[in-house]
Amino acid sequence: MSAIQASVPATPVARRGRLTFLGGRVLEYLAVLIVALTLNFLLPRALPGGPLKLFGSPEALARLTAEERAQIATEYGFGDPIHLQFLDYLHSVVTLDLGTSLSDGRDVTAAIGDALPWTLLLVGTSIVATTLIGITLGVIGGIRRREGKGAFTLTGAIVVDSIPQFWLAMLLIVWFGVKWQIAPTFGATGPDGTTVAGLAQHLVLPVATLTITGIGYIFMYTRSSMLSVLTSEPVQHAHARGIPRGRLVRRHVLRPALLPVHTLIMLDIGFLAAGAIVVETVFAYPGLGRLTFGAIAARDYPLMQGTFLVLTLMVVLMNLLADLTYPLLDPRARTGGDR
Amino acid sequence: MTLSVQDITVKYGGRLAVDHIDLEVADGEVAAIVGESGCGKTSLAHALVGLLPPNAEVSGRGVLRSDRHPALDLGALKDWRGIRGRRIGIVPQGAMSGLSPIHRVETQLREMLTLHEGSSEPTDLLERVGLSAGELPSYPYQLSGGQRQRVAIALSLAGDPDLLIADEPTTGLDAVVQGKVLKLISSLGISTLIVSHDMTGLLPYADRIAVMYAGRLAEVVPVTALHHGRHHPYTAGLLAATPSTDRSATWASIPGGAPAIGELPTGCCFAPRCPIAAEECHTEQPLLRVVGESEVACHRMDVANTATYPAVPRATSACGSPVLTMTGIRHTYRSRSRTTIALDGVDLEVGRGEIIGLVGESGSGKSTLARIALGLIRPTAGRVRLGDDEVTGARGQRLRALQRRVGFVHQDPYDSLHPGMKVWSLIAEPLVIARVPRGERAAKVRAALASAGLPDSLLDGFPGQLSGGQRQRVAIARSLVNDPELVVADEASSMLDVSTRGGIATTLRSVATERGLAVVFVTHDMGEAIQSCDRIVVLRHGKVVDAGTCSQISSSPDHEYTAQLLAASHH
Amino acid sequence: MSAATTAPEVVARTRRHDLLGRQGGVGTVLLSLIVATAAYGFFFLPDGAGKKRVGQPYEAPSGAHPLGTDDLGRDLLNQLLVGAGTSLTLAFIVAAVTTVLAAIIGGLAGIGPRWLSATIMRGIDVMLVLPELVLFILAATFLGQSFGIRAAILALILWPVPARVLRAAVLTTWSRAHVEAARAMGAGQAWLLARHASYLLGPLLVPVFVRTAMRVIIYDATLSFLGLGDPTMPSWGTTLYWVQVNGVFLSDAWLWWAGPPGLAITLTVVALALIGTSIEDRLNPNLQESR
Repeated sequence: MSAIQASVPATPVARRGRLTFLGGRVLEYLAVLIVALTLNFLLPRALPGGPLKLFGSPEALARLTAEERAQIATEYGFGDPIHLQFLDYLHSVVTLDLGTSLSDGRDVTAAIGDALPWTLLLVGTSIVATTLIGITLGVIGGIRRREGKGAFTLTGAIVVDSIPQFWLAMLLIVWFGVKWQIAPTFGATGPDGTTVAGLAQHLVLPVATLTITGIGYIFMYTRSSMLSVLTSEPVQHAHARGIPRGRLVRRHVLRPALLPVHTLIMLDIGFLAAGAIVVETVFAYPGLGRLTFGAIAARDYPLMQGTFLVLTLMVVLMNLLADLTYPLLDPRARTGGDR
Repeated sequence: MTLSVQDITVKYGGRLAVDHIDLEVADGEVAAIVGESGCGKTSLAHALVGLLPPNAEVSGRGVLRSDRHPALDLGALKDWRGIRGRRIGIVPQGAMSGLSPIHRVETQLREMLTLHEGSSEPTDLLERVGLSAGELPSYPYQLSGGQRQRVAIALSLAGDPDLLIADEPTTGLDAVVQGKVLKLISSLGISTLIVSHDMTGLLPYADRIAVMYAGRLAEVVPVTALHHGRHHPYTAGLLAATPSTDRSATWASIPGGAPAIGELPTGCCFAPRCPIAAEECHTEQPLLRVVGESEVACHRMDVANTATYPAVPRATSACGSPVLTMTGIRHTYRSRSRTTIALDGVDLEVGRGEIIGLVGESGSGKSTLARIALGLIRPTAGRVRLGDDEVTGARGQRLRALQRRVGFVHQDPYDSLHPGMKVWSLIAEPLVIARVPRGERAAKVRAALASAGLPDSLLDGFPGQLSGGQRQRVAIARSLVNDPELVVADEASSMLDVSTRGGIATTLRSVATERGLAVVFVTHDMGEAIQSCDRIVVLRHGKVVDAGTCSQISSSPDHEYTAQLLAASHH
Repeated sequence: MSAATTAPEVVARTRRHDLLGRQGGVGTVLLSLIVATAAYGFFFLPDGAGKKRVGQPYEAPSGAHPLGTDDLGRDLLNQLLVGAGTSLTLAFIVAAVTTVLAAIIGGLAGIGPRWLSATIMRGIDVMLVLPELVLFILAATFLGQSFGIRAAILALILWPVPARVLRAAVLTTWSRAHVEAARAMGAGQAWLLARHASYLLGPLLVPVFVRTAMRVIIYDATLSFLGLGDPTMPSWGTTLYWVQVNGVFLSDAWLWWAGPPGLAITLTVVALALIGTSIEDRLNPNLQESR
């Protein structure tokens, strides 16, 4: 699915102290994070119904008397000036005290803590599969661009990239779950609890869905990156210097071609947690995506705030990680005393 | 080792790019193939090393003989393993940007040594090209352009080749560095074939020069014989078209332009541009024959010494009142990480009818200064006056009104003309912008076109149909059309062939004289400035290091840097 | 300085005539067929087609109902045809609005004053950190599901990516020599835009439009599938929502019930992607990397 937001690979920054550079990036992301936190803080206050809806369904709220409302407002500080409320909010974020869910009264932090590992398992497995398959095909497609197969694979990638995730999930359920009964279609564990086999079985269909729909994009990205590196001057010159083709591809093409792909995949990981909403919903997988969707559907504001926080945090962290790891792969992004 | 090129022909989809070339490179000799863009020199070199694109058809032989290896026919070779890098070392065009960006110099050298079974050490290779072992752990981006070119040469030497082929080894380097790189190549003691567009730059370093024109050899001449005896009119033209730093020498240009691939005229390809062409030149193709020390393909060698080309005229009148006055110009570029001082207190005054040469190498700030004069960049400090009007601080309508009094000729004739506009609209654009009444436009456009030396017949064409020289003339016509007081020409000839550069300078001189224009001529070529300007200002690192009349600068430069530039540019 | 310097514009010129190529041609034909289908559904089907009960619930395909009926006895073929209209109209409206929005914002970020450019770019940075799908779900849940609101939400959330692409393109364009030459002539911004930039930027808007339309179709179908669509309007996503709710996978009915709308979504997106990819390839081989 095209829910991936690829950012342009960070342009190498030359002639700047490495620490200053990294420090600058961290500060930039911190700023973005603070803005995102602010949005998150304002969210329940901005949506219809006002902040009191943090404490119950509309029906319950309607039954409250004016005194009771006032009491809740004082108790939770809604009467306080907005900046004090914001500080309180920041404090609660830092201390991971995210309140309790309105729908089932659970501690939000605990609910997220339960869901997060499942999402990480699901997303992690599918990212590994997508990356391996997508990059392999992309590299081959880039090398064999002139042959008919190259164009065929490209069209194939476009088709695969166009299938809606939820529809593919349905088809997989129909065939593998219902008709042939090969794989379970529901939940993350079998009736016998957490066994490795059970976990793996329950991963098959959701991971297949995420992988198949994710391959096309990585394939096309890798392929076009390969093409531009293959026609770049350093590679043309290496060819002229008599470096044989196999060695040329291995040593001179692959690494520069995969540099932007690395950034893409890092960002992808950040977004997949949010992108897994559909898959987790269809397969009733108990991860963060399903938790988020459930929270929105039930208008469970504390839970919503909590899950949004984690989702945004993941994106920002992966962005930061992409920036921090890039210099390890590209010497041009490294500066300072390595001469 | 010898290389014997026999009857090599290259066609692209049936269109002839290289036409039956024979050439010998003797043991230890530095031979050069010289010619202008599109003459087939690169195709010839690529044909010898199997690097032509797949749509090219090659025929003929290129026999490589050496006492260490069996003889080899490069023309018939299909499998290039063990040839490139080992028997023939290649320094590709644009080698500075062709090093692997992600490997250290040492790694790259070791790769070539292992691959081509070289016997030396990376340090030895670096020493041979004049670099210290300290550069071994560097990445290419940490080296200067000249250093990278040296590393590229070192890489080509790793396999201890019999023959070195260097394709445009000086392009993109500053003049001073160009000489050093060529000197290095010629001192390696290997048989070398250099491909270049810059004949005079090669003279001190090459042994023999093969001049190509439109896919054929015009002349093959030992360098020692180049300045005396009889030569092909094209060779003589190229020599005359290269601006000398000696003000007493004249600078000429060859009229017209080279024919395109696939549109070669019958007979001698050069005949349409040749000042001494006779009837037989248009019908019969001349063959190479020995004339004195050289081989020349020309029917008219008996009268070859009478060939003369139009010279670039000098100033005839004294300059008038100041048009552009710039005082104390400072400019700094600020990025997030650092500030660069592009200009640091520059003064400049240009009067009516005067051409000022603004000379400097890359990074000298000359282009920034030109853009400040055009009102495109606002200087950090300093004053700019156009006539009696203050440009500094002008914004919006007032700035645009001032800009309409200045013409601009951009460096790049290919990108500076909107590809979707016809020549007529291109030239008329300043009039439309300045809201000149419709009725007056036609006369102005025709007058400007004539001043720029172009026929009316081009008005209906698109720039895509024009040659580089014609395009630049369209750009000049556009800059003149609204009767400006000042024209700024930013490296206006740098992307053109040598033979047509003088033509642009001639045009600028004639408009300066006829229209009483002030001209700022930005260039990196000291010779060109000395030949075509009245006064020269030499910029370095954003400061004026030298200024004076052309004769002062050329005969007695004040500053050591000016002397270096003079020494580096043409001899 | 080599043989390759033969007037690049000649190449550019032929490219503009042959903007689509074979791949894009296939995409165009496919898209035309889908648009024609949608137009048929819009003009020739009676009012309420696909919304009204016309047969027994859960009918198998027959002459009267070639794709059978759903759990309320509504004709599934009619739903497919009407749904094509809904999806395409939404996609094209949102894509048009988003393209205009992205062009204006990206343009301002490219050539506007420095403070404005910086503000816009930081704004885009923040927008790009927020997961799109979550924003859609949130907005659809709280703001309602009518056509207009859905269109507005989609346009407001989808502009940042194309705006950034267009900003980069504007910056490249503004550094082109003929634009600089025109600026030096004293041309105003309006002239530069109309005479110079439009020639270079105009063709870029096509892939932006096409890519946005693709994203709209997928997102809209996803939202409908999650039950956040307009339940009164037949659409491909809504049909699939009912498939999921009624557990149709357990019977053979999924073949005619879930198959066609999913296939329709896929084909539409493929058609758009073929057009978009081939135009991007032709315009600038490096551009598709930054989308």
